[in-house]
Amino acid sequence: MKFKDYDIEHFLTDEFFIQWVKNPDENNQHFWEKWISEHPEKRQVVQKAASVIRSIQAEQNSGISDSMYVDMFENIIHANEWNRDQTYKADQSNPWFSIFSIRKIAATFVIGFCMWISYEGMIKGIKIESETLETMVVSKANPAGKKSILLLADGTKIHLNAASKISYPEVFDDNLRSVKLEGEAYFEVAKDGRPFIVSVGDNAINVLGTSFNVKENGDGLAVALVEGKVRVNDKRGNQVLLDPNEMLVIRKDGKFYKSGFDQMEIAGWKEMYLVFNKSSFEETTSKIEEWYGVEIEVKGKISKDWVYSGQYKGETLENVLRGISHTSGLKYELTGKKVKITKP
Amino acid sequence: MGSFLIKSPLNIRNPNNHKTFMVNKPHKTKLSFVVPFTHSESTKIFEKKSDLEVWNSFNKGEEAAFNYIYRCYTPILFSVGMQITGNVDLVKDGIQNLFIDLRRKRGTLSEVVSIKSYLLKSLQRDLFRTMKKENSQSIQSIELPENAFLIEVSHETKVIQMESENEINTQLKQALNQLTPKQRQALILLYEEGMSYKEIAEVLEFNQVKTARKLVYRAIESLKQLLKN
Repeated sequence: MKFKDYDIEHFLTDEFFIQWVKNPDENNQHFWEKWISEHPEKRQVVQKAASVIRSIQAEQNSGISDSMYVDMFENIIHANEWNRDQTYKADQSNPWFSIFSIRKIAATFVIGFCMWISYEGMIKGIKIESETLETMVVSKANPAGKKSILLLADGTKIHLNAASKISYPEVFDDNLRSVKLEGEAYFEVAKDGRPFIVSVGDNAINVLGTSFNVKENGDGLAVALVEGKVRVNDKRGNQVLLDPNEMLVIRKDGKFYKSGFDQMEIAGWKEMYLVFNKSSFEETTSKIEEWYGVEIEVKGKISKDWVYSGQYKGETLENVLRGISHTSGLKYELTGKKVKITKP
Repeated sequence: MGSFLIKSPLNIRNPNNHKTFMVNKPHKTKLSFVVPFTHSESTKIFEKKSDLEVWNSFNKGEEAAFNYIYRCYTPILFSVGMQITGNVDLVKDGIQNLFIDLRRKRGTLSEVVSIKSYLLKSLQRDLFRTMKKENSQSIQSIELPENAFLIEVSHETKVIQMESENEINTQLKQALNQLTPKQRQALILLYEEGMSYKEIAEVLEFNQVKTARKLVYRAIESLKQLLKN
């Protein structure tokens, strides 16, 4: 059957077609682009087939955790003859021959050596590998109420917001710069040829020299691009490219959408702008709690359509509270790290 | 491999690992005998080579080749293992035993054309064996569990999703999950992993590639009506 006689079920079972959708390269790309322009009436069915191929994936798509990845590697390297499952011995076709093979003897030496090394390490109370692992990673965490600016060795500048944590290797890999983020940070990534990757939970943001804001909280993740270009990959294998002034929101349930954003609202925090833009009461109070590191207690019922808009630069908590209560008719009481808001 | 690079721990890949190590504890530098190559080095060496070449280097005992194989295929082995059993410990043991066994048999391993399908097949075998042992009462328990390889129909990377599209996806998902677990597995390997029919036949232990094709044809055939809407 010729491609021109293909219907959707034929495309969906054709290896050459699937390869083009999954791994487009120069050759198949060239062919299919030509073919579609020759057969414009097939464009729709081709698109549909490609869309089905791209959207099918395993439901149970669990990624392996770093700790398990390392743990298994260690176990494999350190495995020895004695604690191995008996079933493997039964698998061998000629046990006598292989027991005496040089390879096996050599392997026993290697394994014995490993055991000795790990034994040495344990006696001295040092877990060799995990220790070296830990010394290599730098971690910075801000409590609520504190922001900080970090300058990395490659020239990248990171504004780390309050109640957020970032970790990265003391020295970056030769071909990759990778950092891990919990919470919110604004990145000004220095160009140096190596890709810069921010991992947030199961999502990864790939960058080549650019400025953007990343915010992750219980509801999901938001990546807002100020300049340059970034690519976001989620755990399901979806990939989204962002242009400047676009924001990608990935909700907790995996759904995502793109939207525009107000630069002051999203990234103003690094210039000490505390911005409320039609913020709900919950948004407003949790923002204040994070920003000033205080606890807010609410007395009385606040109406559901309560919203607040306002902008403060480097203001004291007192002034912000005064501003908000002024326009919305609430009362506040500030004692130490506690704020009591009452609806009269 | 972008997202894969992120998931693998930074520390192993860091070339300075060894440097720090040697400075601090000179008497233990021999540990590098066990892990002579860092991950990034091994990737550079092997990523341009064919599966057969990588496999042969591994068979010769090159640790770098092992590092490369472990790094490339552990995530997919884990994910597929979880699709079969959903039991983390079982999957972890399975992957460990698989690699321990392969390392032990180095020098005598037969040639492998697709490392991915070979490893998947071996892990699957091991998991079946363990699962069979665990519930020895049921005789035919070597079959895939009913809920293995359930399929998700994701939205494509489009900005706006239309209602109608959502509904089609839901219908498609339901239809897909009515297929047999084996059919679902074949579709996941074909569409998500981008495997060829030849590789799928190996994973599913079919003697003939034809059988893998037929399995997929039948699955798609039964979805045909839905797909044409």
